[in-house]
Amino acid sequence: MEKRLWLSIVAATIGVGLIIAASATAAPSAGHPAKVVKAAAGGTIVTELESDVDYTDPQLTYYSPMWELMYATACKLMNYPDKEAPAGGQVQPEVAAGLPVVSKDGKTYTFTVKSGYKFSNGQPVTAANFKMAIDRLTDPKIASSTAFLTSDLIVGAQDRLDGKSDSVSGVSVKGNKVIIRLIHPGPDLLARLATPPFQAIPATLAANHDPAGVNASPSCGPYYIAARTPGRSITIKKNTFYKGPRPHNANAIQVNVGNSTDVIYQNVVKGTTDYAEDGVTPTLYAGIAQKYGINKKQFFTRPELEVDYLALNHDPGRLFHDNPQLAKAVNYAVDRHAYLAQRGFLAGARTNRILPPGMAGVTKATEVLTNGYPITASGATVKKAKSLAAGHTGSGKAVMWAPNSGPGPLQAQIVQFGLKQLGVDVSIKLLPRAQQFVTARNRNEATYDINWSAWGADYNDPFDFINILLDGTTIGPTANNNDAYYNSAKFNAQMHKASLVAAGPGRNAAFDALDKAMMAEDPPWGPMFNRTNRLFVSSHIGCFVYNPVFEVDLAALCKT
Amino acid sequence: MYRYIVRRLLWAIVLFIAVTMVTYLIFFVIPSDPAVLAAGRSARPEDVARARHYLGLDHSVPYQYGLFLKRLVIDHSLGRSFVNRRTVNSMVGEGAPVTASLVFGGAILWMLLALPIGILSAMKPRSLTDRSAMVFVLIGISMPVVWIGLVLQYLFGFKWNLFPNAGYCDVIHPPSGATCGGPLDWFTHMILPWVTFAILFTAIYVRMIRANVMDTMGEDYVRTARAKGAPASRVMTRHVLRNALLPVVTMLGMDIGIALGGAIFTEYIFGLPGLGRLAVTSLQNFDLPTIEGVVVFATLCIIIFNLLVDVLYAFIDPRIRLE
Repeated sequence: MEKRLWLSIVAATIGVGLIIAASATAAPSAGHPAKVVKAAAGGTIVTELESDVDYTDPQLTYYSPMWELMYATACKLMNYPDKEAPAGGQVQPEVAAGLPVVSKDGKTYTFTVKSGYKFSNGQPVTAANFKMAIDRLTDPKIASSTAFLTSDLIVGAQDRLDGKSDSVSGVSVKGNKVIIRLIHPGPDLLARLATPPFQAIPATLAANHDPAGVNASPSCGPYYIAARTPGRSITIKKNTFYKGPRPHNANAIQVNVGNSTDVIYQNVVKGTTDYAEDGVTPTLYAGIAQKYGINKKQFFTRPELEVDYLALNHDPGRLFHDNPQLAKAVNYAVDRHAYLAQRGFLAGARTNRILPPGMAGVTKATEVLTNGYPITASGATVKKAKSLAAGHTGSGKAVMWAPNSGPGPLQAQIVQFGLKQLGVDVSIKLLPRAQQFVTARNRNEATYDINWSAWGADYNDPFDFINILLDGTTIGPTANNNDAYYNSAKFNAQMHKASLVAAGPGRNAAFDALDKAMMAEDPPWGPMFNRTNRLFVSSHIGCFVYNPVFEVDLAALCKT
Repeated sequence: MYRYIVRRLLWAIVLFIAVTMVTYLIFFVIPSDPAVLAAGRSARPEDVARARHYLGLDHSVPYQYGLFLKRLVIDHSLGRSFVNRRTVNSMVGEGAPVTASLVFGGAILWMLLALPIGILSAMKPRSLTDRSAMVFVLIGISMPVVWIGLVLQYLFGFKWNLFPNAGYCDVIHPPSGATCGGPLDWFTHMILPWVTFAILFTAIYVRMIRANVMDTMGEDYVRTARAKGAPASRVMTRHVLRNALLPVVTMLGMDIGIALGGAIFTEYIFGLPGLGRLAVTSLQNFDLPTIEGVVVFATLCIIIFNLLVDVLYAFIDPRIRLE
C-alpha cells in the first residue's frame, strides 16, 4: 500500500508541475510597446484562416472571409471606397464611368464602362465582361448559392437558372454600355452589383462550367488569385496591369489555412502571421487589449453590419401569435448586458433595433441608448415587463432553440431567467447550429417560440435585413429567412413601399421609421446586440483600413 | 492460406457494406437538409429545390445508397462534396498522406520507446527503472491527448520556440506560396505531433509489453531453456520476446488501422490537414459524401491491417495454421 501511495504522490507531483508550468507561461506577458519601424513598400502580407473558404471562384463563393479577400482582387461596376465608415459604406462607381442612367419607371439601368482597366493577364476589361459574370452566376450548371442576388430582380435571370435560356435576357451590352432591365424597380441594385459575384470576369472563366469552380483566375482589381491549394493556402499577387485609384501596397498576400485560433494568435504575436482573418480564441481578447491597447497599432475593434436577436415566433399556435404585449415584455425583461457578455470581451454593442448601426437608417451606435427598449435590465425594467406581460403569458410555457456550441447555451439560460420573471417557463432545446438553422427555416418543423438567431449583411442595404427577414408575404413551407414567421399586413405593405424608395436619405428614413414602428407596435424580435469585429494584426502591419462592408481592406494594408 | 484470405476478403465486403449503410442511415435520421445549407442562407424554396436536385437528394435514400455503391465500384468515385463540390477522392487523397505521416511516425516512436522500457521493466520488476516506467505509464494514460498537445505546442512551439508550433510541410511538391517544404521541414514540423500522438500509446504498450514479458518469463519452456544452459540473451530473444510480442503485433496492426481513419485531436491541435480534420469539418457541415469517403477509407484501413496482422501472425507463430 505504501509503495502505491509513493507512486501516486510522484505522479501527482509531476502532473501538478506540468499544470503550473503551462498556466504560468500561458498568461500574456506585460505590455511592451510595439517596435516602431519605418514603412516599406512591397513585401508579403501573411493572413491565416482557421477554416478553409468554400470556393475561390467569384460566382460560387458565399463566405465572408472570401468576400473580404475578393475586395482586394475584384473590379466591379460599383464598389465601396477604401475608407472607414461611414464613407466606406457608401456604394460608388468603380469601373462604371459614373452613376447609371435610370429609366423613368426605375426598371432599366444603363452603365457606361470606363476604359483603362485590365485583367491580371493583360486583357482589357469591357462591358461584355460584366455580362459574362451575370450569365455565369445564373448558369444552371454552376448552380451558384449567390444566384438569389439576380433571380428576384433581373429580367430573364430565373429563366436562365431554369435552363430555359443561354444568357440572361435582361442584361445586354452595347459598345461600352451595360444595360440591366429589372422585373420591378430595385433601388438596391447598386448595392447588389458591389458584391463579388458581379465582378468582371475574363472570357476564359466565363467558359468554365465546372460546378467545383476554379481555384485561380485572372481578375481586374489591384490583386488577383494566383494559386490555391484547397485546405492549405491561397496565394494572391499584385495585378501589375492595374492602373485604377485603389491602393495596392504589398506585393502579395499569402493566406494560410488550417491552424487553430490558438496557433494563429501565437503566430501573430511572433510576427510570422500578419492578420488573424478568422480572429483568435475569444478568451484571448482581454489579454490582447491589455497588452496592445485598443485601436492603436495591433488590436482594432469595428462594428459589423450584423444583429444577434431572439426571433419571437408569430405563427398561429405559438406563444407570440397576436401577442405584441408579451413580445414587448421580452424586450424589457431579457438582460442584454448579460446576453452579450457571454461572447467575451469587446464582443459587441447592445441594441434594441432591427437594423445595425452603419446600415442605412441607423447612423450612430449611441442612438440605441436613447430610443426604445432598455438595453440594461434593472428592477424598473423587469417591473415594466411584468406589467406588459400580465394576462398575456398564454400557457406559461415556451420552447427556445439555441445552438449547442459557443455562447448559445449560456445565452439561452439568460433568456430563460428573463422570461421566468414574467411567469413563462422556457424549456431550452440545444441543437448543432447547422441543424438549428436548417430546421428553423421549415415552417412545420419550427416548433419553437423563441429562436436564437443572428444575421449579417449580404450587401449594405436595409432591404437585406427588413424585407429579407420580416416580409410575411414570402413565408412558405420551406427556406424561410423569416424565422419569427412575422406576417403583419400593415408592415408588409410598408416594407414593399420602402423597398421602392430610391437609395439615399429618403430610403434611409423610410426604413428607419419602419424599424422603429415595428419594434414599438409589434416587435418581431428581441434584438440583443450588434457584433464587433475584433481584429488582431502583427507589429509589421500599417495602413490599417476597415471597410464597413468587406471588413479589413487587404489592398490598403502595408508592411512596416 | 489462400482460402483463408478469400474468406476474409468476403467478410470484408460484408463489413464494408454494413458500415457505409449505417453511416448513410444515421445521416438521414438526423433532421437536417444539406440542400438548404448548399443553397445558401438567402435561398428561396425554388433555389433549395434546385440545390436538392443538383445534389441528388431528391431521390429515395435506398436509391442514393445504390448510386453511391455503383459509383464506388464501377467508377471508383466517392462522389463530390456537398460543400465545396470537390471530388472526395482528391480530398481523401490529400488527407491520407498527412494522417499516414502522423500515424506511422508516431507508431515508430511509440514502439521505439515502449519496447525497451517495457522489457527492462519486466526484467527488473520493482526496481527504480520499473517504478519510473510505471509513473510514466500513469501520466501517459491519465493526461488527455488534447491537453498534452496544447502544453507541448505552447511550451516547445511558442514560448521556447524550439520546434514549429503547427502546420504541415510536404516532403515533395509543396503548394504554391508554401513557406516550407522538403524532408527536413516535414520532419521538424512533425516532431511535436508525433510526441503528442505517441505518449498515450507508449504508455499503453509499455504496460502491455511488461505484462506479457513477465508472464512469458514464468512459462515452463523458458525455465527449461534456462535449465539447459541457454544464454540469457538467447532465452530473451528466442523464447520470451517471440511469444510475448505476438499480442503486441495484433494490437499494433489494429491501432494503426484505426488511427489511419483520422487522429482527430492531434491533427486539430497542430493544424495538420489530415483525415481527422477532414472528418470533423465534414461532420459539422453535414457533408455526406465526404463523411462516407473518410468512413470508406478508415474501414479499408482497418480491414487491410487486420488481414495483414492475421497473415503476419502465421509467419511469427509456427503453431498457428490458418488452414
